[in-house]
Amino acid sequence: MRRTGPGSNLLAYALAALVMVHAGYLLPRMLPGDFVSAIYSSSHVTLSAAQEQELRSYYTAQDGFGRYLKDLVTLEWGYSYAFLSPISRLILQALPWTLLLMGSAHVLSMIAGFLAGVEAAWRRGSAAEKSGVGIMTVLQGIPEIGTGVILLMVFAFYLGWFPAVGGETAYAELSGLARFTDILKHLALPFTTLFLAYFPGNFLLTRASMVMILKKQYLETARAKGLPSVRVRYAHAARNALLPMVTRFGLRIAFMVTGALVIETIYSYPGLGTLLFNAISQRDLPLVQGIVLFSSLAILLINIALESAYGFLDPRVRHAS
Amino acid sequence: MNLTIKNLSVTYVSNEHMLLALERLCLELTPGKVTALVGESGSGKTTLGKAVMGLLPDYARLEGSVNLDNLELLSLPAPEMNNIRWSKISMLFQNGAESLNPVQRILDQVAEPLVQKQGCNRKDARIQTQKALEQMELDPGLGSRFPHQVSGGEIQRCLLAMALIMNPEIIILDEPTASLDSMNKAIIRRVILGAKNNGQAVLVITHDLDLARDTADEAVVLYLGQVMEVLPAGELFLSPRHPYTLALARSYPALDTHRDLGGIRGDAFYRMVHRHREENGNIRSHSHLIGPDQEHEHSHATPGGCLFVDRCTQAIPECREKEVALRKDDGHELRCVRGGIATLLRLKSISKSYAGKTAVHLVDLELKAGETFCLVGESGSGKTTLAMIGAALLEQDSGTLIYNQRDMDQWIRQDYLSLARQIGLVHQHPAQAVSHRFSVFEIVAEPLKIQGHYSRQEIQEKVLSSLKDVHLSTEPEFLRRYPHELNMGALQRICIARALVTGPSLLIADEPTSSLDPSVQAKVLKMILDLQIEKGLTMLFVTHDIGLARKIGDRIGVMLAGRMVESGSAAQILNKPAHPYTGLLMNGAGPRVHEGTVSLKPDPRKGCPFVPRCGRKRDLCVKDNPETRQTGQGAHFVRCHFPLI
Repeated sequence: MRRTGPGSNLLAYALAALVMVHAGYLLPRMLPGDFVSAIYSSSHVTLSAAQEQELRSYYTAQDGFGRYLKDLVTLEWGYSYAFLSPISRLILQALPWTLLLMGSAHVLSMIAGFLAGVEAAWRRGSAAEKSGVGIMTVLQGIPEIGTGVILLMVFAFYLGWFPAVGGETAYAELSGLARFTDILKHLALPFTTLFLAYFPGNFLLTRASMVMILKKQYLETARAKGLPSVRVRYAHAARNALLPMVTRFGLRIAFMVTGALVIETIYSYPGLGTLLFNAISQRDLPLVQGIVLFSSLAILLINIALESAYGFLDPRVRHAS
Repeated sequence: MNLTIKNLSVTYVSNEHMLLALERLCLELTPGKVTALVGESGSGKTTLGKAVMGLLPDYARLEGSVNLDNLELLSLPAPEMNNIRWSKISMLFQNGAESLNPVQRILDQVAEPLVQKQGCNRKDARIQTQKALEQMELDPGLGSRFPHQVSGGEIQRCLLAMALIMNPEIIILDEPTASLDSMNKAIIRRVILGAKNNGQAVLVITHDLDLARDTADEAVVLYLGQVMEVLPAGELFLSPRHPYTLALARSYPALDTHRDLGGIRGDAFYRMVHRHREENGNIRSHSHLIGPDQEHEHSHATPGGCLFVDRCTQAIPECREKEVALRKDDGHELRCVRGGIATLLRLKSISKSYAGKTAVHLVDLELKAGETFCLVGESGSGKTTLAMIGAALLEQDSGTLIYNQRDMDQWIRQDYLSLARQIGLVHQHPAQAVSHRFSVFEIVAEPLKIQGHYSRQEIQEKVLSSLKDVHLSTEPEFLRRYPHELNMGALQRICIARALVTGPSLLIADEPTSSLDPSVQAKVLKMILDLQIEKGLTMLFVTHDIGLARKIGDRIGVMLAGRMVESGSAAQILNKPAHPYTGLLMNGAGPRVHEGTVSLKPDPRKGCPFVPRCGRKRDLCVKDNPETRQTGQGAHFVRCHFPLI
């Protein structure tokens, strides 16, 4: 294989980003007819003539890709007439909530699933391991939309332990610890839903790769060396099982916004998903476009990060590229 | 520290199948001694190593005892066993590269036991490890690399450094030189000998017989979990006693053997014990030797009998029935019903003369079961006469012949037919050896018809299978052909088929390929060698071509003027001929050959017959015919006053 440096990798990513941005620039201009009136005619939003003119000029301006790019970098992403706010502000407001929800669900389910998977594989054949695998296989089959609705019904509506909507109590003006617990309370149900959705997959994947790795000869070497069992399990076996986990994380990330769309909508969580849902239902094309562009760029960035993590985790990958 | 293994049996159990990996194995590892465990794959070598380390899987059932200085390892609680691992006993696993964790640096892996077990701090451990790696003649920077960045030989040396890092008293090396080049092998060999001098006890598990011979004190030959022979490692090639050891040595591509590689007939991969519950509630267990033939009935092992019986070249009915234990026999331990490699044919002081002219004079010859003995010499030296006497076709003037511990002369008189069944004969000129009035079928069937007691059906079957053995057509059309329709190569194959049709155990071939052109000769020879391995034949091969003898002979006898002037293993004779005549034969028709051919004729009863052509002759040679004496290493005999070695 030809040797390529990390620089050329970055270049490829930059190119991909550029293509995406360009598609975002080009697509509205290729739409036939008067798309501004087409969008807003069936919506409850009423535009003044000046606003309509501004929108039309923004999307049909022929002054080139360069300006579009410049606007993009300076966060001039246009204005949402449905929400009466600049698009960039809408996205940046929603982003922390999504990051909090999705990030915590992904990271914690990964850590927990990984540890559980490692221990299960180590105890392969025991009753606990067998029942664990059975339960997880069933759980994996339940879609998050189902768990979400059930949890909402039981814990929010029936038992009333947790709030049913929002990211924090509206207009409560809490601060410090009180605000923190309030946020956690709101987070609990959507987080649990996502955790239940992601944990089984992580668990099963780790267990499967661990089972394969435990058969490897270097594990026999590790055991023969008389090392403590924890060291054999984690330093030698689990370390090698980490790689498929990272791959899975990368794949999962691509569905971050779509995943958020469902779960945030169920719990009316103020994140990107809800924003996207609302934008779609209001036919606010500029906002939809903004979110899609933003999330795809974010996915690219995360992929770059993962790729370097790959090389860090497995020297064979580092030296192969 | 001594490691004493006593009556160790290992069975891998899964439901009613039990795989018997080791059976009542005894072994002692003592400081400063290297023990080599050799045998084919599946013989249980690796199982032994892992059993000692306590690394066998849960489904392995162990019996017997593994004792480390009065500490019984088999019943030791897991944490204590974990303490012993690597600090007292370490092991190098086979398939080097896979034994290292791919995501950790080599230095860290080699140093790991020091840090984890000895509580050494990281810095000291690194320094110590660096030294250990350098002792293995490795590049100092190698430690910071990952396993995929170093070569196979380097990996093996890293693993060896790792095995030695805690200076354990017992070291088990599983195939340390497999798939290594000779340079790396030499380093490994040095390390093993270094450990030995260091007072460590080493167990080398290997199929590399060179390594076993060069490093070990004692070689233990394992077959399907049973020890077949224990012998001083130096004698592996020179004087093995068990047919299995001989066959192993013959299969090994050692540098100093010239013979084509032999292999061992048949296959046996492992031994399986089945248990059947019979209708009356009893449990009947029987064992199988599993080879490529998966058919249930075919793989049944005879209970009690020798395990090697189906692949052995000297098996007799008794081998199947008689229980056989490991017996001590001067320096060797041996498990063989027949007491080791048997002598199939023994000629004692054979003499024969034609009308007063001596053809063979007081020749002794022993044919060991399963070997190829090549009689070489110029024409007129008595080779053919000796061979024909061995084949019971010529009567000797004096001397005795013993075939399979039975006097041949007596046998001939009592029941010649049954003796004739034992010996197959192939002559020099195939065209003259067959009747031109016989069809192919009749030629091959004739020995069976002479035997008299075979039915038509049997004859048909035997002839066809014999023809198949020599790679000839079995079409009816071909069977009806006559000799004049066939070429020389096919005709000689027919003669070989005829010689083998009665299922003999000895094949005597008199220049069987000298009338064939080289390409056909090569094919026929290869076929004969394959047949020898498959049928376990013993072969007496008469040839004037020493190059040919070199390719097929296990042992060589050199004939001159009716006397056997040199005999010994083919490797020894060809590498270091002792008799000047042998040297002359090997050098062929060099310029000095003709020097003395017309000069003084020695008195055949007195002087050495080689005197006229010998460049080294002295007075003694003319006056006195030398007696046979031993020379060099092992069983190498020569009749010369002034041998070359």
